[in-house]
Amino acid sequence: MLLALDILSTAAILFLVALGLLAIFGVLKIINFAHGAWLTVGAYCAVLAARLGLNPWAAVPLAFVVGLTLGGLAEILIIRPLYRRPLDAILATWGLGIVVGQLITLVFGRDVQFAPALLPGAWRIGGVEYSAYRLFAIFAALLAGALYALMFETTRLGLLARAVIMNETLARALGIDTARVRLFTFMLGTGLAGVAGVLLSPLTSVDPNMGVAWLIGAFMLAMVADASYVALGLASLAFGAVQVLVSAYVSPVLGGVAVAVLAALALRLRPRGFARG
Amino acid sequence: MAEAHSPLTGLRAPALFALIGAAAVAAAPPFLDAFASNVLTRSMLYAALAVTVDLLWGYTGVLTFAQGAFFGVGAYATALMLTHLGATPALFVAALALAIVLPAALGALVGWISFYHGSTPLFASVISLVFPIVATQLVYSGGAWTGSSSGLVGYDVLPLEGEGFFRLAGLLLVAVLVAAWVFVRSDAGKLLIAVRDNEARCAYLGLDPKRIQIALTAILAAVAGLIGFVFANASSVVAPENVGFVFGTEIVIWVALGGRATLFGPAFAAIGIDYLSAQLSGDLPFLWQLVLGSLFVVTIIVAPEGAAGLARRLWRGGTAAPPRLLSLEAAPRETKAGPLLAVRGLSRGFGALTVLREIDLSVKSGELLSLVGPNGAGKTTLMRCLSDGREPFRGEIAMGGQDIAGRPPNRVAALGVGRKFQVASIFEGLSVADCLRLARASHETPSAWRASAALALPAPCVEVVKLTGLIDQLGAPARLLSHGLKQALELAMVLALEPQLVLLDEPTAGLTKGERTLIGEVLVKLTAGQGCAVVLVEHDFDFVREISSRIVVLHQGRLVMDGTVEDVANSALVREIYSGGGHG
Repeated sequence: MLLALDILSTAAILFLVALGLLAIFGVLKIINFAHGAWLTVGAYCAVLAARLGLNPWAAVPLAFVVGLTLGGLAEILIIRPLYRRPLDAILATWGLGIVVGQLITLVFGRDVQFAPALLPGAWRIGGVEYSAYRLFAIFAALLAGALYALMFETTRLGLLARAVIMNETLARALGIDTARVRLFTFMLGTGLAGVAGVLLSPLTSVDPNMGVAWLIGAFMLAMVADASYVALGLASLAFGAVQVLVSAYVSPVLGGVAVAVLAALALRLRPRGFARG
Repeated sequence: MAEAHSPLTGLRAPALFALIGAAAVAAAPPFLDAFASNVLTRSMLYAALAVTVDLLWGYTGVLTFAQGAFFGVGAYATALMLTHLGATPALFVAALALAIVLPAALGALVGWISFYHGSTPLFASVISLVFPIVATQLVYSGGAWTGSSSGLVGYDVLPLEGEGFFRLAGLLLVAVLVAAWVFVRSDAGKLLIAVRDNEARCAYLGLDPKRIQIALTAILAAVAGLIGFVFANASSVVAPENVGFVFGTEIVIWVALGGRATLFGPAFAAIGIDYLSAQLSGDLPFLWQLVLGSLFVVTIIVAPEGAAGLARRLWRGGTAAPPRLLSLEAAPRETKAGPLLAVRGLSRGFGALTVLREIDLSVKSGELLSLVGPNGAGKTTLMRCLSDGREPFRGEIAMGGQDIAGRPPNRVAALGVGRKFQVASIFEGLSVADCLRLARASHETPSAWRASAALALPAPCVEVVKLTGLIDQLGAPARLLSHGLKQALELAMVLALEPQLVLLDEPTAGLTKGERTLIGEVLVKLTAGQGCAVVLVEHDFDFVREISSRIVVLHQGRLVMDGTVEDVANSALVREIYSGGGHG
C-alpha cells in the first residue's frame, strides 16, 4: 500500500512538473531549457508569500501570474526571433535559465530557503499513515490534468493549439495567428511551471538551482509523451513506478537516473514515442 | 600561378601556426606568475575541449552537452587508476589508454542512442544532457572508490612541474587546433557541413549521415578523454563537477560567444572567459555569471556567428581558387541480362488512403522512361519507394536483381540508383565544387588532410557543369546560385554518382526553355549514349514527347498505360484522364 501510494504521488509530482513543458513542446516544438528556472521562480513565490505574511495558498495564483508574465516577455524577446532556429532557441532558453537563476541569487542569496507547508500532517488511508500533502499532490495532478484536458479539448485556444500541433504551416495558411497561439501556449506553460514550483516547495529545499534537478525527468517525459497529455499521464505513472521501485530496492541515487536511461532507451527503440502507439 | 595548385599550399598556414603556437607555449612560462600559469593550463585544456564541441556543433550541427562528461570520464579513469593501482610508468600508459578508449566506447554508445533513422537534432541534444547526469550520479554512488562528492585528490601524477604541465596543455591545444583546422579544410572535412546542411542529400549520395555522426561523436569523445587525462595529471584533483552537465553547457556557451564553426573563436573565448572567471569569481561571482548569461542570450539572438564571425564580417579573406575540372573516363559498365529495375505488385498506402496499387514495371538499361499522370496519381510516391527501401510498401522492387526492401537510401544508392528531388536538394553551406566533390565521396574516400586542387568528375556530369554554366561558379557558395543553377547542380551531383538508374522528379520545373532543352539533350545522351536508365516524372508533355523512349501513365495509383510515345500521345484514355473525365 505504501509503495502504491509512493508510486502514485511520485507520478503525480512528475506529471505536474512536466505538464507546462509538454504544452510548450507540443506547440512550439522546442524543449524549454528554462523550465527549471520557472519552477524555481514558482518556489520562490512561495517563499515570498510567506515573507509577506500571506496565506501559503496565495502563492499558487501569485506564481501563476508571475510565470505567465515572465513567460510572455521571454517569448516575445527571446523565442520569437529564433523561430526559424530551433536549436538556437533551446540554447537561448538555457541562457535565460542562467540569467533567472543568477537574478534570484542576487535577490534572495544562494542559501537554502524553506517554504511553509501547504498541508501539514498525515492522513490515514488503507491502513497506513500517509503524508497529507503527497496525497493532495495526487489530487492536484488529477485536477491539473482535467483542467488542461478541458482547455485543450473545449476552448478556442485549445482548438487552435491542436491545429498548430498537427500542422503549423497549414494552420497559418488558414489564417490562424500562429504567433499568438505560440505566445499564449508559452505563457500557459511557464505559468503551469510556476504553479508546479509552488507545489514542489514543501517537498524539497528551495535554492536557486533547485529546478535543474527536475529538468531531465521532465524533458524525457515530454519527449516520450510527444505532445499528448494522456500519454504524459501514462508515462508519469511508468516513470514514477520505476523511480520508486529502483529507489526502494536498488539505490535511491540511481532511482532518478533509471528514469532517464529508461526513457532514452524507450525513445531509441520506439522513436515515435508512446503517443502514436 | 602554378604554385596555387600544389596540394600542400593549403597546409602552409596551419604549419606556420603550429610552429608559432608551439614556440609561444614553450617560451611563455617564465613570464607568467604561478597563478596565471596554473589557471592558463586549465584554460588551454578547456579551449581544446571547446574546439571539439565546435567540430560537433558548429560544423556538424550536433548540439552536444556531453563533451564535458567525456572529458570527465577520461579524467576519472586516469585518477582512479593512479589512486587505486599506483603510478608506475606502465600504469601511466594504461591510464592514458583507458582515458581514451573508455570515452570512445561511451561516445559510440551515446551516438548509437542519439542518431538513428528519423532521430531529431533535439533528441540528440537531450540525450547528450542525460549522459552527464547519469555519469554524475554514478560518481556520487561510487562511495569511497570514486571519492563521491569530494572527488579524488592526492594521487601521484606525471613527474612534471607547473611549467611542464603548462607546456603540455599548450601543445595539446595547438595540436588539437591544427588537426581540426587541417581536417575541416580537407575534402573529408566538408562532410561535416554536408551532414549539417542536408542529411537527406547525404544519404541519397550513398553516404550514411548517421554513421558519420556516430563516428564523430566517438572520436571526439576519445579526444575529450585524452584532454581529461592531461587535466587529471595537471590539476591532481578530479571532482564530480568535471563530469557534470553544467560544465558541458559552459563549453557550449564559450563556443557560441567565440563564434561557432571558426575553431579559433571558441578556443580564444574559452581561454578568455575561463581566465576572467578565475580572476572575477572571488569579487563578483553572481554578477559575472549574470553578465555571461545575458551576453550569451544576446549573442544567440543577435549575432549567432559569435565574435569570430563578427570579425570575419569586417575582414574578408580572399576566397580560395576554384579547383581544376577533370573529366573521368567512364567506368566500363557491366551490362546484365534482364531488366535493370523490376517492380512487381507494388502497393503503398498511407493509413486508409491507397496511393499505389499493384504496380508492375520494368526498366532496362538505355531506356528513358517518363512517368506521367495528373497530380495525386502517385508519381512522387513511386519515386520515393524506388529510392528508399524503408518505405513500408508491399510488393517487390529489385534493382540489378537485388531486393531493395529495408535498405536505407544510402544502400539503395550503392546499388546504382541516383535520385534528384523536385525541390533542388544541395548543400547550401558549401561551394559548388565541394558539393560535386562530395557526390563522389561514396566512390573515392576523400582525404582527411588534403584539399584537392583538382576535381575529377564523370564525363556526363562534366557536360552538365559546362553546358549550364556552372563551371564559372565552381568557387561560389551553392546557396547563392539561381534557381535554375541549383537544379543543374543537383542533377550534376546525381550524375557524379555514376548511377545506373537516375530518378528525376520534375527536373525542368521553373526552368527556361533553353535550360530545358539543354537538360533534355544531356538525358538523351546519358541513356542512348551511355547505357544509363532514366525514370523521369514530368508534367510538360512536349518535353516528354521529345526525349522519352517509353511512357508510363499513372492514374489514381494504378499503372494504366505503358507504351511508346506514339501509343500514349494518341491514346483516348490519356486524353480522358487529363481532361478530368477519367473517374470511375
